[in-house]
Parts: sequence; C-alpha cells; structure tokens
Amino acid sequence: MENKLQVRNLRISFRTSNGKVQAVRGIDFDLREGETLAIVGESGSGKSVTSKAILGISAGNAIVESGEIIYDGQDLLKISEEDFHRIRGDKIAMIFQDPMSSLDPIVTIGHQLTEAMILKGKARQKESRRLFNTYLKNLKNAMTASGVDATVAAESCKNFDKFEFKHIELESAYNTAHEAANEAIEDIDELVFGLEHGSDKDASYHIKDIVKETKSSVNEYVLKDDAAKARELAGSLSGLYKKDRHSRDFAELISALKSLGEILKSSVGKPVPNFFRMGYYLTFSGQPLPDMPIEKLNDFLKEYLDNNFMKAFIANAKQALRYSANESRSKMAAAIDAMKAEKGVFASENLVKKDCYDAQKRLSDAVRATIDNLAITKDSLTFTFSSSLKSELDTYFGAIKKNKKAEAVHARDQRRYDRQVKRGKKPTWEVADAAVTDLLMIKGNIAHLIDRLTEHYRENITADEKRDYDSETIRVIDYLKENASGVVAKVTRRVAKDRAIRLMEEVGIAEPHKRYNQYPFEFSGGMRQRIVIAIALAANPDILICDEPTTALDVTIQSQILELINKLKVERNLSVIFITHDLGVVANMADNVAVMYAGKIVEYGTSEDIFYRAAHPYTWALLSSMPDLDTNEKLESIPGTPPNMIYPPKGDAFAPRNKYAMAIDFERQPPMFKISETHSAATWLLHPDAPKVEPPKILRDRIERMSRGRKTDNAEQQ
Amino acid sequence: MQNNSDEVLLRVEHLCQYFKIGPNAVTKAVDDVSFDIKRGEVFGLVGESGCGKTTTGRSIIKLYNITSGSVYFKGIRIAAGVKSYKDAISKARADLKAGTIDSAECSRIIAENKAAIKAANNDQKNCDREYSRKCVESVKAEYAPKLASAAGEELSKLKKEYSNELRKARNTRLVTQIQMIFQDPIASLDPRMTVREIIAEGLVIQGERDKKVIDEKVYEMLELVGLVREHASRYPHEFSGGQRQRIGVARSIIMNPELIIADEPVSALDVSVQAQVINLLNELRDRFGLTLLFIAHDLSVVKYFSDRIGVMYYGKMVELADSDELFLNPLHPYTKSLLSAIPLPDPNYEKARRRITYNPLAAHDYSVNGPSFREIKPGHFVMCNDAEFEQYKKELK
Repeated sequence: MENKLQVRNLRISFRTSNGKVQAVRGIDFDLREGETLAIVGESGSGKSVTSKAILGISAGNAIVESGEIIYDGQDLLKISEEDFHRIRGDKIAMIFQDPMSSLDPIVTIGHQLTEAMILKGKARQKESRRLFNTYLKNLKNAMTASGVDATVAAESCKNFDKFEFKHIELESAYNTAHEAANEAIEDIDELVFGLEHGSDKDASYHIKDIVKETKSSVNEYVLKDDAAKARELAGSLSGLYKKDRHSRDFAELISALKSLGEILKSSVGKPVPNFFRMGYYLTFSGQPLPDMPIEKLNDFLKEYLDNNFMKAFIANAKQALRYSANESRSKMAAAIDAMKAEKGVFASENLVKKDCYDAQKRLSDAVRATIDNLAITKDSLTFTFSSSLKSELDTYFGAIKKNKKAEAVHARDQRRYDRQVKRGKKPTWEVADAAVTDLLMIKGNIAHLIDRLTEHYRENITADEKRDYDSETIRVIDYLKENASGVVAKVTRRVAKDRAIRLMEEVGIAEPHKRYNQYPFEFSGGMRQRIVIAIALAANPDILICDEPTTALDVTIQSQILELINKLKVERNLSVIFITHDLGVVANMADNVAVMYAGKIVEYGTSEDIFYRAAHPYTWALLSSMPDLDTNEKLESIPGTPPNMIYPPKGDAFAPRNKYAMAIDFERQPPMFKISETHSAATWLLHPDAPKVEPPKILRDRIERMSRGRKTDNAEQQ
Repeated sequence: MQNNSDEVLLRVEHLCQYFKIGPNAVTKAVDDVSFDIKRGEVFGLVGESGCGKTTTGRSIIKLYNITSGSVYFKGIRIAAGVKSYKDAISKARADLKAGTIDSAECSRIIAENKAAIKAANNDQKNCDREYSRKCVESVKAEYAPKLASAAGEELSKLKKEYSNELRKARNTRLVTQIQMIFQDPIASLDPRMTVREIIAEGLVIQGERDKKVIDEKVYEMLELVGLVREHASRYPHEFSGGQRQRIGVARSIIMNPELIIADEPVSALDVSVQAQVINLLNELRDRFGLTLLFIAHDLSVVKYFSDRIGVMYYGKMVELADSDELFLNPLHPYTKSLLSAIPLPDPNYEKARRRITYNPLAAHDYSVNGPSFREIKPGHFVMCNDAEFEQYKKELK
C-alpha cells in the first residue's frame, strides 16, 4: 500500500492574548491507502487542530511553525488557497461531530446535497476554459520558439481549439443519451423484479424516471430507429399502472416494460464512433458524413484526420515539448548556482534585512524562470518557493521587532519563576520566550527550503535525460481533451439531483425521493449524520477525516454509522482519519492508532499493539479509566488536568499526572522508543536503565480476560 | 453492589406522559411505565435517544405535569395524572349508550372516577403544602420545650434561631429532596453567576439568609466534590468540563437530597473525566447512602454503576432486571440488539462482533395476544405475551 498522506514534524501554535499556545508540537505519521488511522486523546490534545490543518481550515490565529503535510506530491501547508479549492472537499473530505450544527436548518436536504455539486460544476467550467486557453497559447509560443513557422503554429492551435469543441459536443450528447438508457434499463429491471414479486412500492416514481430517461436516450448513435416506438411504450406505462393497480395483476405492465427494456438494451449495445475524429471531419471537410458502417467509418475518419492534421500537429507539439523542457533544465542549473551563491546570506548570525530581501528577490526570479509552462503536473516546490521564503523572512523580521506587551509578560513570568526557585521550589514549567517565534527554527526552515529545492532540481536534471516525449505528447492531447470536456460538462440541477439521490441510497436512507425535499429537523440524529456523510462523499474523495462522528449519537445508531463508514471505506478504497476519545470505537475501526497528549504523539501502533501491549502510562490510564462489562473495581481516573500549553512543561508533559513518573520525566522529554516494527512509544520507562513497571491491575486483568475470551472463541471455532 | 434495605423510596405507577403535537395528534413520550427504586440503590435507565428516558426523569421531578399514573416518593403521592380516570368515565358513558351496562353501574363508575380525579388533583397540587405543614409542626414541637426553659440572652438567641428554622420549614418542598444532575454541564450552569451563587441558589430559595452558613455549606460541598474553596468566586467558563460537572453535582447534593436523578451526567465528557465523575458519584453514594436514578445510553457505564437496569423502547419499558442478570440473560429482542451494539476496547472481539438488528414488526406477533409487563423470574420483568412468555422461560439459563 502506498502512502496517501504524510505528516512530518508538524508544529502549530495559536496566538492568544495570554501568549502563544503550542497546540501541536512536532508530530509525524503516515496514512496509507485504504487504511484507518485513529487519533485518540483527551480534548485539547491537538487532535482536531491536526485534522483542520490537513484540510486547510485552521483558525485565524493559528501559526504553522514548521512541518510538512504531503498529499499527492504537494505540501498542503504551502499551496495557495486556489489550489486548495481543488483538494478540499474533492480529495479530502470531513465529517463533523455534531450533525445538527453542521447542516443548515432552513435549507432542504436536497438543496444542501446538490449545492456544492452545482457550484463546483460552474467553477470547474470556468477553470477548464482558462486552463485550456492558456495551455494552447503556451504551446503555440513554444512551437514558434522551437523553430516551427509562426503562422503554421498559430493555425494548427486555432484549428485544434475549433474541432476539439465540436468533438466534445458530440461526445457529451452521446454520453448523456447512453447513460440515460442504461439507467432506464436498471430502473426497468428493478421495477419488473418488484412487480413480479407482488410489490409496487415506489412504482410511480420509477415509471416517471423511466419516461424521462427514455426521452433523453434519443440520440443518433443510441436510440434512433426505434425512438418513436420506445417513447410510445414509455408513455403508456403510467396508464397501464393506474389500470392495473386495483386488480393487482401487473401482467400487461410487465410485458410493456420488458419490450421497452429489449429496445433499450439493443440500442445501448451499438458500436461507438470515434467522436474526436468525427469532430475534425465535420468541422473542416465541409461535407456530411459518408454513409457506411461504424467500424469502417472510424477507419476512414482516422486516415482523414492523420493525413490532414494530426501527424503534423504531434510532430510540432513534440518539438515544442522538448524545447521547453530543455530550456527549463538549463534554467534549473542556473537556479542551483544562484541558490548556492545566496545561501550564505540566510545562514549568518544576524540576518540583515535588506540583503535578505534582495537575495530573496534574486532567488525567486531564478526559480520562477525554471517553470516549464508545458508541464502538466505542476511542481509544487517550485511554485511555492518564493512565497514560502518570503513568509519565513517576514516572520523572522516581524519577530525581531520588540513587542512591549510580550516583553512585559515575559518579565513577569521570569520574576515568578525566579521567586519560586528562590523559595527552594522546583518549577515544573519553563518560561516561554518573549518572541512568539523561534528565530533559530526559522533559519533552519529557510535552509531546509533551499536544500530541498536544490536536491529536487538535481534529481529533475538527471531524470530529464530519460524522458519519453512521444507518450508525453499523447498526454498533452489527453489533457487538452479533458479540459475541453470540462468546459462542456454542465452540472445541471437535474443531474445533481440524480447523483444526490444515488448517494442517499448508498448511505442507507430509505425513500430518498421523498426525503430529498425534507428539512434537517425531520431527520433523526443517525439519519442526519448519514446526510453529512453523503455530503462528504459527494465529490468522491480519497481521504475522509471523521472528527468524532458518533460522539453525539447513542449506541445502536453509533454502531450503524460505524458500519456504514467501514462499508464505504472498503467500497471506495478510502483512507480514513478517525478522531475520537472513545476507545471502544477505536477498537472497532482502526488499523493503526496514534495516542496524542499535549500536542505530541505519545504512542503509535496497530490496534492490537495499543489494546493488548500498551506501553505508555497515558494509554494505560485511558484504557483503565473506561469501564467494560466485567469491571467491578474502582475506576482509575487520571488525576489533574492537561497542562496549560502557554507554559509547556520542560519534561514529559504527562509526568505531573503520571504515578509512574521518574525524576527524569520532569527534566527531559522522552524520545520515541521503538518496541517493534509497528509499535513505538515516548516514555522513559522503555529506556534500558528504567525500572520494570507493570500496567495497572485493572488493565492487566482486562487483557487477561480478553485473551482468555479469545482462546475460548478459538476453541469454539475448532 | 449492595442494597441497604428493602424500603421503596420511589414508586412509579403506570406513568404516561403525552405531548400534544397538533390539533388531534399526541406523542406518547412515556407510555405506561411502572417501576420502583429502593433506598440506597442505583437504578439505571437505558435506551436509544428519543425513547423517553429523560422525559421519565423530568416527569418524576415534576418538571412536567404528568398525563396519567402516579409517582410516590417516600409513600406520599407527589404527582398524579387524571387521563386514565377521564377515559374510564367516557368509556362508561359509551357503554351505557351501547347498552352493555345499566345506568346505576354507570353512575357508580363515574362517581368513583370523579372522586379519584379530585384526589389526584389535590395530591398533585397540595402534597408540598402538606409536607411543609408537617415540617413546621415538627419544628414547633422541637423548640417549644426549649423556649419554655430558656431565659435572658439565650432566649433571644434561641428565638432568632427558631424563627429562622420556622421560615425554612415553611418553604420546604418535598420535591427538593429529589435533585437532578443535567447532561450538558455547559448549558446547565448560568454563565453570569459565580459558582458560589449557583451552588447556594437552592439554599437561598429555601429561605436560608445567613451568609456565613451559606458560605460554610458551599465550601463543604466544593471540598466534597474535589474542588477547592477558591473556586467559589469563579465563573463556570473558567472550569474544564469535568469540573463543571462537579459543580452540577455539588449544586444537587447541597439540598441533602434522598434521590438524585442523573440525566446522562457523563455523556458529554472525555473518557478520563468520565471516570472522575463516576468515581465521585460512587463515593458520594457510599458516604450519604444516596439513591440514584441513572439515565444513560452508554451501557458499559450503566452496567458498571447500576444495581438494577430498566430498558426502554419507544416510551415503554421492555425489560427490567438486576444488572448482572440483564447482561447474562437478555430476553427481549430489543435488549439483545442493544447489548450487541456495545463497542469494547478489544480489537479481536470487535472484529468478530455482529450487531443484531431489532425490528418490532418482525420480532413480535401481537395481532392476537397483546403484550404486558410480566415477571419471568424473581426480579426479572419483560414485556411479552403468552407465547413469548413460554419461549423466554425456556431461554432462561
């Protein structure tokens, strides 16, 4: 399984009037494809902050201090808001805790489900048009620069634009008709099955749909010759049903449905012409299509297109691609040199403002020059370099300025600290710096940024020599086709409604046609959460973030929703990040578990590791503070409260609440000790010199019980 | 856990709570529920959301006027509904028209039920007044000899004390001995009152005016629930969720209640804090011999905490038994489905767990023989009809 999402050394703080709250303090994890990762912890441990950072919806006062969240080759912390529009909701979706407050109470469910689809559809149309036009323009320029005659280049690009849209028009008309016919067949099958088994539930809905779908399957290459007959049959259905409903003998209706089904099936199975070639022929030949069978027609059109246009266009495009790539490669070499030269400016003891910004401008120009306009996948490192460098510098010089208020707070804290030391006490907290930012860390970030890009360019230069320009040219043409189809593909209210109803069926809502027009208050809690899940799934995301999706629900509904999420996960191969504080739920859902405390991951492992072989005292405490069905003794609650993250503790954050804490826990933060390949925990107890400690009795008893239960289960199975 | 005595503290008989939701429609939130709670025990009430658990709790504490049935607290009827009597009267009139009973019989039934309605209305309205009259009498009886024997400065002091006690006794309500802990600690505390005001509010309403006494009591309660004196002058938003719920507990126990209705007190809390609150309630229970009606939907917590458990489904009580017995021998199909939905912190068990779904139409055939609430084994009640009764008997281990 490949990694879908990688989080590296993520640090997030919040600026508040009392000081800087360090909510997340350097966490790392991977999310693999088709896997569920559960993040467990008390409220305030930074679970939700992490998930919001992944989705790019952090609160306004959040500062990302360092780290990377890599999705699909891009760092989500650095990409622009426009790029995020394409990821948020489409690729990564979220299910919120409280279904009532995440749905609009005065808008119908149907509207809420389709709203995003329609808006996204409109935005995608505009975006596709823009991408298509700019790419074609860049291609034309590159062709001219690479030595193709300017008029030829302009002409061929213009022609491509023209006939490509004809192609898409033909094809989308065909697709709509074909899809409608298929849906009609499905509906007919379902209805016939129901009627044969004596149930006419939803029959009138189905008949209405079938009539509509038959109407829209009329097309040159789908339902042509039999169109009149099919429409007549479809029109008669409703009358037949009304007639038969009272006698409950549906023989006539069934036979009509079956013959309509036959007609549709035969029309769906017809061979498909190649619309791309047909578009060219129809646009430029000025003649009607020759009358011949479709296989022959395809061959004829291919020859016509290749001879008149395609061969020359491909050759020119390939030349342009090669030229543009070479150009970019030489710029990359220049950029590497520039970075080597300027790196010293950012490494000195005290950065000089003017020098830094000048160097930043020069570097940005050098890096921007390396952008290859014809590359289809954008290189996120190159694109985000100048803005992230500038923002780092801004933070640095902003932090150097003395802030009177912060200084005063710092001085007060320092005095308090000194007073405590004087009295002979040992404070368990550290005095936070007056500046909210760590200057050294920013310098490190800058160095990292430059090194990473240099490395990346070196790799690119070596990889470039082995590039296959033939397949890349084909990809370019596919890319243009895809964008052109994006311009034509319209998400109408009707299409959106059909999709919404299919989604509602998928998440297990009965009578979706009726429910579509209802308001959220007419749904029960579990049903509302299903709607929220349907909305999250509307754009077919790869990653689903569930932020306590069942905390507000009761047990039976909770287990239904969990089953639903598990089912959808398998069907759609989703990766799920599941945030919760209920460990029973975690045992049900998770492949891997990360236990968080005070902004750090304190234990990480598979769910078996965590539940049967837990190693961190905090995990022990969590596990033993919840009763199960056989618990009789007093529960082990965790004393005290989580630390105030304005004054993060010097040592292990859990030490003051930990009865196994040792002296070193108050002095130094424990590193992650690896226990097995999959299992690691951050506690000094795992250090070879530490005394051996047993988990609390209540937990040992439970694990004992569980393993005994397993054995008897196995015995029964045998 | 242990039962201290067999004295019945609270008895609920045929409790019905209907809500009007339209001109001719009612929601039967609670429909014919009966149970009793013995002194010193914890009675758990479980069921899915919307099944009437909370409504039952609120009806007992007289937050609603109940539709029908009666609630007895310490043997005194504190709430009574009249719908059943009214129905009986109209049924008698209809029968008279139909000719199945004669007019003498009819007028007898009507008179009987009218008397019952009068009694019910009287109890519903005046139970508190009568209780406070009794308290006043006992105070008078206690102080009369003392006042007679005292003299001089002591007398004036005693007189002051006497008038204070007398005022408190006059303001006493029987229902104040039942207190409630609410689900959401944020919503149930007034954000503009200090903790001291919140906790002392009940005392003040009861007539306590001595600031020193109030402060002493508030501090005592705060320390009892694991907070410190300094917290008294803070506001609710300055506390964490678990601490807020502790304030809610302190507010309810300052009235020296005999019965506490805990309405999902831990549902809104983190796991670790849940354990703190459960341990606190357990401690208080051992110390004061409190009786609790514990409403929750987390079955592991209910099992851990309760002596007896009642399972509710759509306004009806479907099964009632000792907690161990219920988990060992669940009989009603709804109980089985509820138990099969509990998630446990055991991955292997979870992977094997299969949820049983409950469909009342498929599970029961009540077309011929309607169900009633029957005792199938001492202390184990289940809602069933004759055929199911036999079948359940066989299932019993």
